[in-house]
Amino acid sequence: MGKHILILLFFGPLITFGQRVMVVKDTLASDGDSVVVTATRSERKLSNITVPVTIINAKMIQQNGALRLTDILKEQTGLTMTSGFGAGVQLQGLNPDYTIILINGEPLVGRTAGVLDLNRIALGNIKKIEIVKGPSSSLYGSEAMAGVINIITDASTSIPLQASLRYGTYNTLDASINNTLVSKRLFYQGFYNYYNTDGYSIRPNSNNRVTTPITRLTTSQQFKYNLTENTNLVFNTRLTDEKIISNIAVSNGGVTIYSNGKEHNTDVNLTGSLNHRFSNDLKTSFRSYLTNYVSNQDLLTLSGAPYTDLLNHLFQRVENQTDWTVSKKITGIFGAGAVWEGVKSSRYDSEKVRKNNTIQYGFTQWEWTPLEKFIVIGGVRFDQNASYASAWSPKLSMLYKLNPQHKIKLSIGQGFKAPDFRQLYLDFTNAAAGNYSVFGSAEAQKVIGQLNSLGQIGTLYSNYYLLKSLQPESSTGIHLSWDWEPNPKTFISVQAFRNDIKNLIQVQQVGAYTSGAQIFSYLNIGRAYTQGLELETKYQWNSDWSLSGGYQFILTGDKDEITQIKAGTVYTRDANGVSSRLSLSDYVGLPNISKHKAQFKINYVTKDGYFANTRFVYRSKWAVNNTDGNQVYDTGDSFAAGYLSLYSSVGKNYSNGLSLQVGCDNMTNYVDANNLSNLPGRTFYFSIKYQIINKK
Amino acid sequence: MKKLFTQITFVSLLTMTLFACTKTSDTTVVNNTPVTATVKDLVADTVLGVDPKTGPYSAGKYTYYSIENNAIVSSADSATTKWDLAFLSTKILTNGGTSGSGKGGAFIYKGLFDDIKTIAPDSVFKTDAAPVYAITTGSDKGWYHYDGQTNLITPIAGRVLVIKTASGKYAKLEILSYYKGGVTLSPTASDADKLTKQRYYTFRFTYQPNGTTTF
Repeated sequence: MGKHILILLFFGPLITFGQRVMVVKDTLASDGDSVVVTATRSERKLSNITVPVTIINAKMIQQNGALRLTDILKEQTGLTMTSGFGAGVQLQGLNPDYTIILINGEPLVGRTAGVLDLNRIALGNIKKIEIVKGPSSSLYGSEAMAGVINIITDASTSIPLQASLRYGTYNTLDASINNTLVSKRLFYQGFYNYYNTDGYSIRPNSNNRVTTPITRLTTSQQFKYNLTENTNLVFNTRLTDEKIISNIAVSNGGVTIYSNGKEHNTDVNLTGSLNHRFSNDLKTSFRSYLTNYVSNQDLLTLSGAPYTDLLNHLFQRVENQTDWTVSKKITGIFGAGAVWEGVKSSRYDSEKVRKNNTIQYGFTQWEWTPLEKFIVIGGVRFDQNASYASAWSPKLSMLYKLNPQHKIKLSIGQGFKAPDFRQLYLDFTNAAAGNYSVFGSAEAQKVIGQLNSLGQIGTLYSNYYLLKSLQPESSTGIHLSWDWEPNPKTFISVQAFRNDIKNLIQVQQVGAYTSGAQIFSYLNIGRAYTQGLELETKYQWNSDWSLSGGYQFILTGDKDEITQIKAGTVYTRDANGVSSRLSLSDYVGLPNISKHKAQFKINYVTKDGYFANTRFVYRSKWAVNNTDGNQVYDTGDSFAAGYLSLYSSVGKNYSNGLSLQVGCDNMTNYVDANNLSNLPGRTFYFSIKYQIINKK
Repeated sequence: MKKLFTQITFVSLLTMTLFACTKTSDTTVVNNTPVTATVKDLVADTVLGVDPKTGPYSAGKYTYYSIENNAIVSSADSATTKWDLAFLSTKILTNGGTSGSGKGGAFIYKGLFDDIKTIAPDSVFKTDAAPVYAITTGSDKGWYHYDGQTNLITPIAGRVLVIKTASGKYAKLEILSYYKGGVTLSPTASDADKLTKQRYYTFRFTYQPNGTTTF
């Protein structure tokens, strides 16, 4: 019965409205792809954007045969996918924790160890993805420290009803239906996606699946109702339901424990907004947003002992934003909002009690165009929090168009990431590995104090006395870029960036039990930097052929480690185990970062609908393990090997609305079971898409 | 038969005396010259097997070592001052305090082996006071780092154990490896190798027989 209701919920709107489909022209400008909203929280032409932005449009997503957000992000300059706790994205050398992921401007929640699994996001109804590089907390608050990834769903489709089906290696099946209804007052769009895979194992002689069998359902519904010509109501829903069958083997001290069970994750997002245009120069929007991510792991070990792990993250927000065009030269936005947020987890002291935080914030941003070729944007945001120190986030950016061929952009901004619930409230003792404990900083002193009064604490480190309320981690970023279009067929962009990060929150040992088992908590201690160069090029050879490529060079380092190396107090060991002083030239900086990353794409598209492409993605070696025991990553440590992967797809879009595509991912079958669990071996797929009702 | 035995005893006694003489005369000559040596694959309570329920197990016995003689000492002599260091997995005892009847002790120097020309006069030698030892136990606290992900133990680079022997003389010692063959295993080595090849110490030391703190 419950299943039938679910099906009805999924397809109800489709059935009821499916009969009276009307066709209305795309409401946005035809060059909609070159409109950017994320950079300024308002619609701006890409040519007037003052900060580094990458746009991925629906066409690219289709041509690449991308299904999940990870598939398309891994081929972007400056972005690297990470594995461990799902697929996260590293942006300009900063970990997944520091990039905020938005859907239509609203943040996704539900991170495990700071990583938001981007496989949660289906790409079937995406109009475009905007990536803003550089600290953007002046508009988006916490987490927008490395940048922002905003996924914008298609709200303007002219396709009334479309179905697509894709099947590939490992029994990977992906089926979608998109439908749209447009009347004078009402716009409705629905998206339904079913994804299933058997998963795969790339470890020889092991039945351990690196990716376990997964079934995902995603649906999103968008309603827009025009109350009057100047007022509309928008209501969006999104639901992702993910079931994972787990067969995990955990090895510890030679004893392997097999856990079998299931994991169930649901992600619900509800957005409602009321938008009103007072005049062409003044508009306002009230938005309310609720999202709830619930993850349940229900595992059973072979010995029969159950292991459950629950994470329930609830996030609610109300916000108002007003856009005001003061004059032709000056426009401004201002906004304010409040967030109520809470997490329940079995890794906190009680999974029944929700840990809460509230945030109030206000922001403003002003754009000044003194000359047609010169734009300056300045903004600031203030976040006031109940659980940690407040934060000011300013940003200044500018664009100077030397002439139609040359543009220079400069931006300086501050970003921050609030201490997350795990860093504040974790209460976790690992019975499987030595009974060590990790306590969140908000409760560490209290919990350890209680243990001490029970006589369970052996030693307290000086770090223990430094425990206090955590400060947000913060970064200052400078981005300088130069865009050059020597002719209409060629585009070259060079960008230099530097991020200085302070107050990094790191796990530190603060004491030990009488048994000697370690006790950890979180402290603001780290200082680091990332800096590098990015190059992007596009070349339209002729009407059918085009080439594009990108390259990133990056250097990173922990500033305290560098100070120690310079002082001569960091040592390394040679192959025979003999110690020597580490020289700065042997220091490799932060782990999991490749110095070089590049991609190249050959694209062929004809007027009669044929398309074909081949893509190369290269990543140089990266440090994974500290093997010489000095806690610093240097050339003597162990690295994952650099690799090149190759992707290709061929297809045709017929004029009657039928599209066919075949593709092969990871053609050279490159696998690295230890360091690249997210990269399966060679896979093939075939997909068919049909516009059951099209505009013709 | 008895005669033969006596003869052998006599010969061996004679040899011993001769050798002892040689040694004594030798020591008198090189008495001020520090002795440097490398000890390879010193067994320290190696893993005997894996119990499916309780995990790996071993005999739980220390290996006693004399720095002065550069030789293993029988465990029958554990109550004597014949040994200077005793090894059991990652734990290292010195012959003093709660561990032995000698004058032994140690401290951990942060820096390079070759940097220690003379033990700084303000150095404080600690003595074993179980459960706290002169050579601190635990990951990152004494001589090694334990990586929970790879289950590997690596000596911390730039750590030198400055030792006071049972008789009160000085030595400096650097642990080079905890794995058989003197090479730390690769993080991707098999679990079986990680268990069976551990607890084999390779270390180098310099011992000053003349009782001074200069090497």
